[in-house]
Amino acid sequence: MKPFDLLRPSSIAKAISAKQSQVQFLAGGTNLVDLMKKHIATPDALLDVTPILSSQITGSTETLLIGAAVKNSSAAMDKLVLSSYPLIAKAILAGASPQIRNMASTAGNLLQRTRCPYFYDTTLPCNKRNPGEGCGMREGESRMGAIIGHSEHCVAVHPSDLCIALAALDAEVLYTIAGEKKPMVIPFKDFHRLPGDAPEKDNNLPQNALITGVRIPKNPFSKNYAYVKLRDRDSYAFALVSVAAALHLQGDRIVEARLASGGVAHKPWRWYQAENFLKGKIPSAEVFAEAAALAADETNPLVGNAFKKLMLKGAIEVALQNCLTA
Amino acid sequence: MNFFKTKTSSPKVEGRVEGVFKVTGTGKYSAEYHLDGMTYAVIVGSTVPAGRIESIQLDQAKQVEGVLDILTHQNRPQIPAFATKEKLDKSGYSLPVLHTDQIYFKGQPIALVVATTLEDAMYAASLVTATYRKTTANVDFDGSHKGVDAEPFGKERGTMAAWASAPHVAEAEYTIRHEVHNPMEMHATIATWHAPGKLKLYDKTQGVNSVQQTVSRLWEMPKENVEVISEFMGGGFGSGLKVWPNVPLAIMASSQLKRPVKLVLTRPQMFTLVGYRPQSWQKVRIGADKSGKFTGIWHQAKHATAIYDNFNEGIVRISRMLYDVKNIKTEFATVPLNLSAPTWMRGPGDCTGAFALESAVDELSYVLKMDPVQLRLQNLALRIDPDTGKPWSTNYMGECVTKGAEMIGWGDRKALPGTVKDGDWQIGYGMAVGMWFAGRQKASAAIRLDKDGVITVETAMTDIGTGTGTAMQNIAHEYLGIPKEKIKVKLGQSTLPPAPSQGGSTGLSSLSGAVTAACEAFKSKMDAYASTAGEQSSPANYSLIMQKNKLTEVLAEASSGPGEEQKKYAFCSGAAHFCKVKVHSKTGKVKVEKMASVVDAGHIVNQQAAANQVSGAAVGGIGMALSEEQLTDNRYGCLVGNDLAGYHFAVNADAPIIDVDFIHKTDVNINPTGSKGVGEVGIIGTAAAIANAIYNATGKRLRDLPITPDKVLLS
Ligand SMILES: Cc1cc2nc3c(=O)[nH]c(=O)nc-3n(C[C@H](O)[C@H](O)[C@H](O)COP(=O)(O)OP(=O)(O)OC[C@H]3O[C@@H](n4cnc5c(N)ncnc54)[C@H](O)[C@@H]3O)c2cc1C
Repeated sequence: MKPFDLLRPSSIAKAISAKQSQVQFLAGGTNLVDLMKKHIATPDALLDVTPILSSQITGSTETLLIGAAVKNSSAAMDKLVLSSYPLIAKAILAGASPQIRNMASTAGNLLQRTRCPYFYDTTLPCNKRNPGEGCGMREGESRMGAIIGHSEHCVAVHPSDLCIALAALDAEVLYTIAGEKKPMVIPFKDFHRLPGDAPEKDNNLPQNALITGVRIPKNPFSKNYAYVKLRDRDSYAFALVSVAAALHLQGDRIVEARLASGGVAHKPWRWYQAENFLKGKIPSAEVFAEAAALAADETNPLVGNAFKKLMLKGAIEVALQNCLTA
Repeated sequence: MNFFKTKTSSPKVEGRVEGVFKVTGTGKYSAEYHLDGMTYAVIVGSTVPAGRIESIQLDQAKQVEGVLDILTHQNRPQIPAFATKEKLDKSGYSLPVLHTDQIYFKGQPIALVVATTLEDAMYAASLVTATYRKTTANVDFDGSHKGVDAEPFGKERGTMAAWASAPHVAEAEYTIRHEVHNPMEMHATIATWHAPGKLKLYDKTQGVNSVQQTVSRLWEMPKENVEVISEFMGGGFGSGLKVWPNVPLAIMASSQLKRPVKLVLTRPQMFTLVGYRPQSWQKVRIGADKSGKFTGIWHQAKHATAIYDNFNEGIVRISRMLYDVKNIKTEFATVPLNLSAPTWMRGPGDCTGAFALESAVDELSYVLKMDPVQLRLQNLALRIDPDTGKPWSTNYMGECVTKGAEMIGWGDRKALPGTVKDGDWQIGYGMAVGMWFAGRQKASAAIRLDKDGVITVETAMTDIGTGTGTAMQNIAHEYLGIPKEKIKVKLGQSTLPPAPSQGGSTGLSSLSGAVTAACEAFKSKMDAYASTAGEQSSPANYSLIMQKNKLTEVLAEASSGPGEEQKKYAFCSGAAHFCKVKVHSKTGKVKVEKMASVVDAGHIVNQQAAANQVSGAAVGGIGMALSEEQLTDNRYGCLVGNDLAGYHFAVNADAPIIDVDFIHKTDVNINPTGSKGVGEVGIIGTAAAIANAIYNATGKRLRDLPITPDKVLLS
């Protein structure tokens, strides 16, 4: 990899004032360092932000706040997360391996880049890595590619599991930026973006901003929830399709439903139509199948991944079933 | 959860001789040696798959601090055997690395950067660029094999006409995707010319003598001047049987710099520089009479190969030896592509062949409405090797089948596919058999006794993780009666008594003869010394006997190899694999719930190590069946993806409980211990067993490996 300086700013203020495009924040390094080894990221310097960011999880009656430096494994074992926001733990544990989760931070997980193999190989074309070069995957090996929200320029998918749960739970991303005194907030649904004609941009975080934490509003989904991840092997593999599902049940009816998916789009995808459909219904296999079909019908698979539509439908049905039993 | 368990009452569990070295990190793998003045080399690969190098730009790379030299085809030292085209052809080394401007595949080494630190070498390597005159590349196996006809491969037995009107026939095509070699330990070489004309190599290899021979041939120097060391290996599944470009590259750099050079492949380079199981196509037609007796097999196969290296692994051999069938026709061809050279991977050829043959036999069982277990028992060639006509020395595959059926609970299988359900899951059972010829080669071993009464058993063979060292200790203990704690083992150095490479399940079969011969030679030496000393010859007296003879050391070396028995008998190891799977009807997910493998490999020297081999092979079989697939993209003429996050070999979470058992019947003819190899038969047939179980569960016949969830959903 290209030689770089490792800087250890002593405060958040110093970190954001030192940040420029060729100077990048380093958290656990599980993604960034790999990208550096492959010459996809070539920063001149890294700012080690782990020591200056919060590694605390705190809860109030209204929200849960996960510090940016909280490791994925810590979040997945946290008592408050497990009792009141268990979908988050479930999603985290479906990702990567214990060793990687021990290093991976909350902020880093949000900003991990796609695993599209064309993006990862600097000898192949990729608009995300090299705008204007063309999309290798679109007409190529697109089995892992998007089935919704893709553009002619990019069919890559967002790889995170944690983010799918955060999307389902309407989380918010907190950040700070040079020149701004107060903490800034982006709702999760607006955090990641679709590729459009600028696939090099993964998200709407302003340039040089530092994520300080993730906030999740109190929710009624601690009882009936599920995370289903379909992948080519049972551990250490990114999702072909994943589904975070949560139901708020009252009596025999669904009061509110949440459904989000990974492996299908350039961002964590919410299935709002299906969620609305489920509202007020009495849960049953038929109702779940109908909701799943609504979501699947929204998709527009590529030549090489038509199966994902079927898989998505199946995964949503299973996830909704699991909300009742698991 | 038990990773595997062995059914028979096994002897007291003992550790392996190398166990402590491995878990404490004191055992050294090839890349872990450090020599004074060490330099670090990094390979630069071609970024195009076909054409010629026009120029290589080194200026930027040379600016990097620490860079000592950059070798290219224009400035490297000459490898003598590559001096002329004629010599090169004769050298038997297919890729004239840095001795040509021709590009055969993407990733082909075009330069070697050597620096004082690895970091400098890696960075400088990223700054080397080249311009090429590109030509069209072809990596499209599916599209290309159609234009290649399979040719007769092995003598046709009987005729096709004889079974043209067989009442029951199954016929289908089967395909398997490109599977890469990616053992945990990366291939690595340290080369040092430590004295004039004398070369020493620390190399990750399954055979130090083979590296020694290849290198002495390429450098036209006496074998004795090349010393090769490979004491520990982090996985060798066939990738360590060839001398890959890292070896000549490190040697050239060491000649140039007159310093030791360490060259470790990167993980991405492991995808293109150390071989793979090539993509394949097969077609099998199999016929049976009304009673289910096979009347004919026609097996055709083709696999990919490199345009510069016509590797071929036959594939169809398994059809010629497994079943008692009068009429058989086998055909084969290779399909040259712009890919690096394929190589042997666990169960080479037969593992690929068995997927097709054993799937086809399963298909036939449903045509016949006959139990697949019964169909095997009725047709296995248990007495005579149909291919050579010689009697099998021993072949207990029938017992493997019967025992395996019991272990898996075959009685719970429903003959009608798709009838057993548990919610959205469909449950099914499958089985297949596997066979591997039991080879034996000449090998040597020595026994060295020191004055403390400790013996060391020595051989050049490398223990690739199979437990060879432990088995050597076990054999010497059984033979000499010396307590195990007084038996040391020394392996993996070319200066020790010569031995073949550890591959093709021949390691223990070859070496056990040598160790027993050495024991014998040692015993008679000790008997002679004992009588001079007037003492009884027994291990307890060895120190005394040495004292009285004024000896500080006793050394006995012996060789042993195959002989007359090879003319009389055919030899094989056999296995039966069973599994239970569940398949999710809505998501296409396949979960292997349980596996049982029963192996007939003669006398089992060390039950724990042997069972470990078999269960490891079963996990390899799960990967082959369900997830391993290296993607290629013909538009760019290359592989797509080169990391282990995207290449899905099976992990623990995919492995069910694997029951392993053995027949434990000695083959008295093969070698003095009566043991045959288990490494290959453990995987041969496993993928078919899984595919057959998926059919039994769902009624979906999937003939294209790996059977990923998308294929289950779409079929
Ligand atoms: C083999 C493998 C398998 C994996 N499998 C999965 C999986 O199945 N599911 C899954 O969800 N993930 C998976 N991961 C990804 C893993 O979760 C991410 O790599 C990890 O979450 C990134 O966190 P990090 O702290 O290491 O980030 P880093 O690598 O340190 O940083 C990632 C990016 O975030 C930026 N960054 C970090 N912190 C901040 C901050 N506070 N503010 C602004 N920018 C910041 C960095 O500059 C960088 O661009 C896998 C990774 C690997 C290597």
